[in-house]
Amino acid sequence: MKLSHSSTVSAPAERVWSVVMNVPTAARCVPGVAAVDPLGPDKYKGSLLVQIGPVRLVLDGEIAIVSRDDGTHKAAFRADAKDTRLGGTVRATIDVALKDVASGCEMRIDGDVQIAGRIGEFGQPVIQRKSDQLLAQFAQCLGRTATG
Amino acid sequence: MLAGGTAFTLLLRQGLIRPTTVVSLRRISGANRILADSHGGLWIGAMATHSTVVRSPEVRRNWPEFADAAATVATLRIRNQATIGGSVAHADPASDVPVMLAALDAQVIVRKPNAAPRVPIDQLFIDTFTTSLAPGEFIESIQIAGRGPNTRAVYLKYTPRSVDDYATVSVAARAEVEEGRLRAPRIFLGAVGGRPMRAMSVEAALGDGTEARAFADAAALVRSDIDPIDDVRGSAEYKREMARVFVERALRTLVA
Amino acid sequence: MSEHIIRFTVNGVRREQHVAAQRRLIDVLRDDCGLTGTKEGCSVGICGACSVLIDGEVISSCLLPATYADGTTITTIEGLARGGELTPLQDAFITEGGFQCGICTPGQLITATALLAAHPRPTDTQIDEWMTSNLCRCTGYHGIRRAIHKAAVT
Repeated sequence: MKLSHSSTVSAPAERVWSVVMNVPTAARCVPGVAAVDPLGPDKYKGSLLVQIGPVRLVLDGEIAIVSRDDGTHKAAFRADAKDTRLGGTVRATIDVALKDVASGCEMRIDGDVQIAGRIGEFGQPVIQRKSDQLLAQFAQCLGRTATG
Repeated sequence: MLAGGTAFTLLLRQGLIRPTTVVSLRRISGANRILADSHGGLWIGAMATHSTVVRSPEVRRNWPEFADAAATVATLRIRNQATIGGSVAHADPASDVPVMLAALDAQVIVRKPNAAPRVPIDQLFIDTFTTSLAPGEFIESIQIAGRGPNTRAVYLKYTPRSVDDYATVSVAARAEVEEGRLRAPRIFLGAVGGRPMRAMSVEAALGDGTEARAFADAAALVRSDIDPIDDVRGSAEYKREMARVFVERALRTLVA
Repeated sequence: MSEHIIRFTVNGVRREQHVAAQRRLIDVLRDDCGLTGTKEGCSVGICGACSVLIDGEVISSCLLPATYADGTTITTIEGLARGGELTPLQDAFITEGGFQCGICTPGQLITATALLAAHPRPTDTQIDEWMTSNLCRCTGYHGIRRAIHKAAVT
């Protein structure tokens, strides 16, 4: 499942970059994220609570910085999570690219999400909508954190 | 809270819900009745099944278009079991009854611990499977006000795959029609967003007392009112196009 | 998981069952009552193989919580024939080629029985409307339609 979000933040790319690459800070911008703790270099663990009507998912997993280029402000992340209650897994690769523009910084986030197991049975439209929403909220919050 | 049990059984079997306590509304006496008031309005008990609505003499007399919309849902067996209140509370954006009730400006009586407020139904729906109902609250009944002498309504459900499918796109519309001119349109679409989507741009473009030759241009504006996604029933672009087609068809049906 | 006592009549026989809260009617009919004529096809209420009559209405037994059977009168495929004698509808299914593999047939007969009770001489349109959600992979449906028309005049 592909996700994509583009927005312009009124802050220079360098400042937005510092927020994005600070994983515990950036993770707080994902609605439903509980504590994010370091596991090792560039690796963190945390959990995410997602609610869609009567269905509650508790995703426990890890997120790792796979690559980063501080010069071009591009980074790739990988997340692996499991829902132990329902029985399902989520694996996502997320690419972030920042570019300085006149009004600030253009932020582009692209994701590829693979869902297996029970959660996947829920129906792709529902998951797609929820994921799009989470991504939009995440991006808006990142922007606010960078300009605040 | 358990009404008819169709959606509940599916979610339970898929392992997507793990309720610790389930309360069934099945035995609440009178909850499945349908009454007509003296102004042509309807009081529909939350536990009335879709089939009860389809066959109800009161519904057939006062709002037959609503009976027709309920008749498009799934299969005969699901209509015999699934309730109107359950359908509204479940808030599946691809379902039919919520969209039609939104177009008819239905009011929902919500039971809270110490109150029973009326909530306009389009305010009840927040997002996919999400209503404004708090835990412990449930729907008591749904009310539809009586129609005027010139009120027309229609529900169009586009199902290119099989007749028992969810809509690829659906349109519910209500308006006053006099001498072939359309006034006060109220148009909602289903399966193109997280909840029934109101065609605000179309309504605004139609204005007051519009003739049929303005319908095509007005219907074309629906693209900006909806938010469909790519899925097995079609691409988002296909659904936007079908929304335009079916909004125009709905308008023409109203004035026919 | 809570257990509930349900009391219902199935094919004229009064029954009392203890059922766990999450069980469906089809589970109780097949596993507890031994009435395996009702088949589970799609498990989502679409195919009609699991159709039974509850207080005269056609219901997908794969979707009904077993607790909801309490206080009801149920007819399954086993309850159509009386004393070994097939109904005119069942006879017509045989003579008109209304089945081949038989997996959908109990559901077809249950729904057609309800149709004929509501409309003793149904039109083709009424047959379509009633029978449309009982799916058959074998017959192509014409034999089913002929059988219903034949039973209607019997």
